[in-house]
Amino acid sequence: MAWTRVAATEEVAEGEVVGVTAAGQQIALYRDKGEFFATGNVCTHQFALLSDGYFEDGCIECPLHQGSFDIRTGKALCAPVTEDIKVYPIRVDGDDLLADI
Amino acid sequence: MFQSQAILGRMAGCKNPDQIDDHVWPAEGLDSIPDWVYTSDAVYEREVERIFHGRTWNFVALEVEVPNVGDYKRSYVGPTPVVVSRAEDGSIHVFENRCAHRGAEFCRSSRGNNKEFVCPYHQWSYDLKGNLQGIPFKRGVNKAGGMPKDFKNEDHGLKKLAVATRNGVVFASFCHDMEPLEDYLTPEILKDFDVVFNGRKLHLHGYYKNEVPANWKMYHENLKDPYHATLLHSFLVVFGLMVAGNESAMIADGKYGIHGTMASAKKEDKYAKVSDDTKKEMRSFHEGMKLQDERFLEYIKEFDSPWSVTMQTIWPNLIVQREMNTLGVRHIVPNGPNSFVMMWTMFGYEDDSDEMTRHRLRQGNLMGPSGFLGLEDNEALRFTQEGISKSTSDQSVIKLDAGNVGTADSLISEAAIRAMYRHYREVMGL
Repeated sequence: MAWTRVAATEEVAEGEVVGVTAAGQQIALYRDKGEFFATGNVCTHQFALLSDGYFEDGCIECPLHQGSFDIRTGKALCAPVTEDIKVYPIRVDGDDLLADI
Repeated sequence: MFQSQAILGRMAGCKNPDQIDDHVWPAEGLDSIPDWVYTSDAVYEREVERIFHGRTWNFVALEVEVPNVGDYKRSYVGPTPVVVSRAEDGSIHVFENRCAHRGAEFCRSSRGNNKEFVCPYHQWSYDLKGNLQGIPFKRGVNKAGGMPKDFKNEDHGLKKLAVATRNGVVFASFCHDMEPLEDYLTPEILKDFDVVFNGRKLHLHGYYKNEVPANWKMYHENLKDPYHATLLHSFLVVFGLMVAGNESAMIADGKYGIHGTMASAKKEDKYAKVSDDTKKEMRSFHEGMKLQDERFLEYIKEFDSPWSVTMQTIWPNLIVQREMNTLGVRHIVPNGPNSFVMMWTMFGYEDDSDEMTRHRLRQGNLMGPSGFLGLEDNEALRFTQEGISKSTSDQSVIKLDAGNVGTADSLISEAAIRAMYRHYREVMGL
């Protein structure tokens, strides 16, 4: 695991989810009430991108079959997802977001 | 070189009236069966509605075919495709094989294992109980499109059937307030059903599938017709599996008269002793004919039952076969009035010795579409469907053992067939 720059803070607006590729991984970035989070971006169910999904109340809902994950813990919350999504530590460094990938 | 008989097959129009009201049962009542029972599309449609989709329990699977969570099997209730699925909590569910969205027959594999069912067309995803789990882009994309806010997944699941199981046999019904399975099967029928399905775990031997170009009810009648046994099936007589004089019975259930057990007890001798009188009457008897491998005829008494053979017809779509030591079920799938598919599942028990398994497999040559006891029935049914379709007479005669409806003392009886049509006429309103 290494800290890698993943985006500029202004690229991730409040209440939005953005998909990026960093260190060869597909990552989803979130800003929830001013705080930033990062999870894997490929749904553990059928491989859709979570960044195309619906983000609300600290949960990301996959666009394909509406499986939900908690963005803080990565926990799979409801059917059809059963496998948790990976979460990455994230921090702000000036105008940049860094994630430990 | 064309064969005219193979080409000339068009059914006479009078055998297939358009209107259901034009189907009138002959004045002879139960002594007769009108041809339209076997040839009419309107009657067939009503059968699907009132019988297969009505107050019946229909065989769909053996539990041993879907032993693990996520296992599934494609099956049929009447002609309607269904999926039999084992859910996470171990329960079995049966639902129509039709996507709630645009109607695709989504389950394509005959048998398999999966975590959920996904329709290939638009990827609507259902759980193992048939509930709608997920719809791609339900929320639209970039806040445009998607399902209306009031769309509830619960309203758009797969059409579910009621399910009942008994000793490893799975039945389904479109009626969700059906009487319990054991009441439907009746005590007389359960007596022999429970001999085969006795709680011991089954072991699958294999499948047969064949189409019979005849009406599905003829197969029930065939197994309620002990009269034909020694006359059509040369093998039974030549090798002494069934001769007049064996202890036998043709039992109809006392409640509906719709289910039946054709039973027979083979004597200990490998080849039956046939009296001289009987020999004269039986065209197929050939003195001194013997099989090269006589192990084939051995009957190993394995159950506490007086019978060596029980062939059960369970209305509307199941045959339970116990012919000495070869065991199986046959699933009738109707395909219009002039055709049905027979799906056979042959099995033994998990605790059978290797020797017993080999014996069952060997003796299993009696069964199946080309079995020594199987093949003539298919031909006879086909000849009958053809004869009925093209001829000018319009009814069959069932007068053997006249006056008797139901269980008969004699094998020279059509009483069980009469009982079947008594129930049929009531349910069908014809």
